Amino acid sequence: MLLIKCPWCGERPETEFHYGGEAHIERPENPEALSDEEWANFLFMRSNVKGLFRERWHHSNGCRRWFNVLRNTVSHDILAVYRMGEKPPVIEPAEENR
Amino acid sequence: MGKFEHWHSPFEGQENLFSDALKAQPFTAQVNLRGNPDDGVFNGWVKDSLDLELPLEPNRISEGKGCKALWLGPDEWLVIGSDEGLASDLSSPPDGLHSAVTDVSANRVILELSGPHARDVLSKSCELDFHPRVFGTGMVVQTLLAKSQAIIEQVGGDRYHLYVRNSFARYVAEWLSDALLEFQ
Ligand SMILES: [Zn+2]
Repeated sequence: MLLIKCPWCGERPETEFHYGGEAHIERPENPEALSDEEWANFLFMRSNVKGLFRERWHHSNGCRRWFNVLRNTVSHDILAVYRMGEKPPVIEPAEENR
Repeated sequence: MGKFEHWHSPFEGQENLFSDALKAQPFTAQVNLRGNPDDGVFNGWVKDSLDLELPLEPNRISEGKGCKALWLGPDEWLVIGSDEGLASDLSSPPDGLHSAVTDVSANRVILELSGPHARDVLSKSCELDFHPRVFGTGMVVQTLLAKSQAIIEQVGGDRYHLYVRNSFARYVAEWLSDALLEFQ
């Protein structure tokens, strides 16, 4: 079980949250200008990182807010939590290799 | 006779679930209030309407005259009061104010869990820490209680109010009365 620190409510058990997939995926400005392949890439294709991954979580059984988490997909270490619209924090290489 | 006269408790015929340690609270007016707490107009309107300062710190409550507000989110509160006119107190926001008022009185029932083993029973039913070093009177959390969505408020030394969904109320009350058995 992960303990996730909601940016508002504080540390809560994973069972209070829902996972929202990869963060910082921007909707294309002009979807009608994309090929089918480009559109499918935007809709369905996600990176499958071994290491640091920026992802969205929803505090669905708490304050019901979305936020971002920077998690190491190998160790499950959560290195940072930041609100929607905030820039992802810069992580020093030494920490990245944890 | 008000609009609550048609409300039926989900516990009718279930009085055997209750004891000194677990009680159903009488019907209470509940209003979900949303707005921007950084907006002075919003704050002023709430203060004038309810005589209440909204809690801005997460997981806190604040009390006004005849009502109180529970923090639910950074722009969301649950206002509780015994007066069924609570929602109408908030029925005329200033022009152009971005806010929402929803009467949710029938959404949740309130159970009171109290006594020397109240915290033990909560710990059996919920993953959060209710030890006095991190939780106390005047604090509130939205979480899962016996896997069902609930709001848990500490109203006194060993007294907790549990706001549970109407449709889950019987299940939660049965769970809690069972959890209390080992302490009786
Ligand atoms: Zn939260």
